Amino acid sequence: MKLNRLLAGSALALAVGLPGLAAAKVEPSLELVQPLADYKIYISEKLQKLVDDTTAFTAAIEAGELDKAKALYAPTRASYEAVEPVAELFGDLDAAIDARADDFEKREKDPNFTGFHRLEYGLWEKDSTKGLAPVADKLLADVTELQGRVVDLPLPPEKVVGGAADLMNEVAASKISGEEDRYSHSDLWDFQANVDGAEKIFELVEPLVAKDDPAFVQRVSANFKTVDDTLAKYRAGQGFELYDKLSESDRTVLSAAVNTLAEDLATLRGKLGLN
Amino acid sequence: MSEEAKAPGGRTPLRLAVLGSALLAVAGAGAFYDATLQRGTRAGSGADGAYRVAITASACEPNVLSVPAGRRAFAIDNRSDRPVEWEILQGVMVVEERENIVPGLSQTVTARLAPGDYEMTCGLLSNPRGRLHVTATEASAAAAVAPTLKAFIGPLSEYKVFLGLQGAELLRRARQLAAAIEAGDLAKARTLYQPARLPYERIAASAARFADLQDAIDPAAAYLARREQDPAFTGFHRLEYGLFGDGAAEGAAPLVPVAERLVADLSTLNERLRALTLTPADLADDAARLAGQLASARIPAGEDRYAGGDLADLEAGLAGIGKIVGLLEPLVRTTAPAVADELKSREAVAEAAVRRLHGPDGFPSYDKVGADDRRALAAAFQALAESLKKLNPAMGLA
Repeated sequence: MKLNRLLAGSALALAVGLPGLAAAKVEPSLELVQPLADYKIYISEKLQKLVDDTTAFTAAIEAGELDKAKALYAPTRASYEAVEPVAELFGDLDAAIDARADDFEKREKDPNFTGFHRLEYGLWEKDSTKGLAPVADKLLADVTELQGRVVDLPLPPEKVVGGAADLMNEVAASKISGEEDRYSHSDLWDFQANVDGAEKIFELVEPLVAKDDPAFVQRVSANFKTVDDTLAKYRAGQGFELYDKLSESDRTVLSAAVNTLAEDLATLRGKLGLN
Repeated sequence: MSEEAKAPGGRTPLRLAVLGSALLAVAGAGAFYDATLQRGTRAGSGADGAYRVAITASACEPNVLSVPAGRRAFAIDNRSDRPVEWEILQGVMVVEERENIVPGLSQTVTARLAPGDYEMTCGLLSNPRGRLHVTATEASAAAAVAPTLKAFIGPLSEYKVFLGLQGAELLRRARQLAAAIEAGDLAKARTLYQPARLPYERIAASAARFADLQDAIDPAAAYLARREQDPAFTGFHRLEYGLFGDGAAEGAAPLVPVAERLVADLSTLNERLRALTLTPADLADDAARLAGQLASARIPAGEDRYAGGDLADLEAGLAGIGKIVGLLEPLVRTTAPAVADELKSREAVAEAAVRRLHGPDGFPSYDKVGADDRRALAAAFQALAESLKKLNPAMGLA
């Protein structure tokens, strides 16, 4: 998971970052302070929701309520997916909370395979809550720990601004293909959450880049709208249809918009003097 | 700056006052008047030289002063018969201030001033303000943006988050307090008063920048011409007086408009804090100023005259300073680990000095805190202030 993402990120940085370096060097501005403060509030609210939702989700598992647990899985992890630029600052917790079986030598059998996807595996593949209580406990402890670590953490501006592109790379690498939530097929929830997280970052810094590059802002906004509109076709109830329902033509539309977004957003750091 | 930071508290002002008096005697009153209008009068020389300002019962002397940009010291002589405060204001923003200057004594206030026009408050809040012109110098023109600006964006944002959250909590608690007063439930209002003050004390380092709001939210009767009877006696202490002091005899009615106004002013404060643009040097400057003020005025004299909640206020103020310490300490540690160590240890000493007075039933009323304890508190806060003053130079921001 990590390696994929890193490679995708570096390739993009190389592809689109170099021409930017040739341009005049931009210095970071104190105008970034308030957007970054607003982002911290956004993150704090999402983390509170993550802890609250995880409390309910894990309680359902421990009570053996299989259907309820299945219903709560996707909405619970959406908060995590939205705050990944910050969550991924903590490698240990990210691995414990969100690693996929591919990240482990013995895959699903690996004792270190924990967190959301381990629970997903149990709930859907085994169709049971049996034996999941310790994993659920650990997940709740880990997301609570994450919230605690973020409380007093000054966010590194380059990580936050760079996070917009990272989120879109993440979508490109694992959500478009449907491999993230391979047992539950709830990938579109994660997809939307990643996009929301990237869109939030973009909106907060948009006024700072709009004056110098209105065409850029227009293009990014249009691509976000394409993604949001396309995903909206698959809304069902409180969330989304299963990933299998995604049509080939919509997948193509999403893929193009997401890749363009990833490339465009990768230039944000340079535009804001954060390289 | 470094000279002053190293000088033990209290020595520098006295020495300057003596030097200043000598100079005055030699120069003569006419020359003094002339010089102050042109370019201010400097007592002493070099980095330690201070501009003399006397505060009389009705104004500053001189009431118009011109100084070159940069770090400037002002020797403030209180020639009135009451303790006074002296402030440099830019619009409604407090650039620097000193409270509780005792009659007959002189105190030194140091401020880093950018070119521009400022005002000085001169004693009583009702006195006319003096004018301070700060002229450009080669150095001020060449002063560049701090090279590591990027490193401060995260800490500055985090501090703004802190201001936003504490400001929201302050408003929430003030509304509860106002609701209890409007319902005529003074017993409940008495339990809500101190908790409502705490978030204000936590953000005091920044809230103190807005002179107009501070004068409405937190004026002490001692600074007003007619004291408790003064129409400008508003805000927290007016409520405190009506809930815990002699004002309690008048019941809830007079407090209702005061509480309403307080909520409105705190709401404005939140808007101003959100719009406030802080520079990297502001964090340590504001924290140092607050610690110094607590040491020199708040701790010796007390401020919560009617409820005696000064120690809880002090603990909250220290928590606000601690927020800044926590944000800057990692940055300072990379360039000046000894300064970072001293800062952390002095913060711990100040925390312990406050905590030591906490009993099983909470903090005692401040009138029960004796002179020795107040001296120990003041020393701990002064030491912390001196340590905070070393941060900006250590980070290349002075």
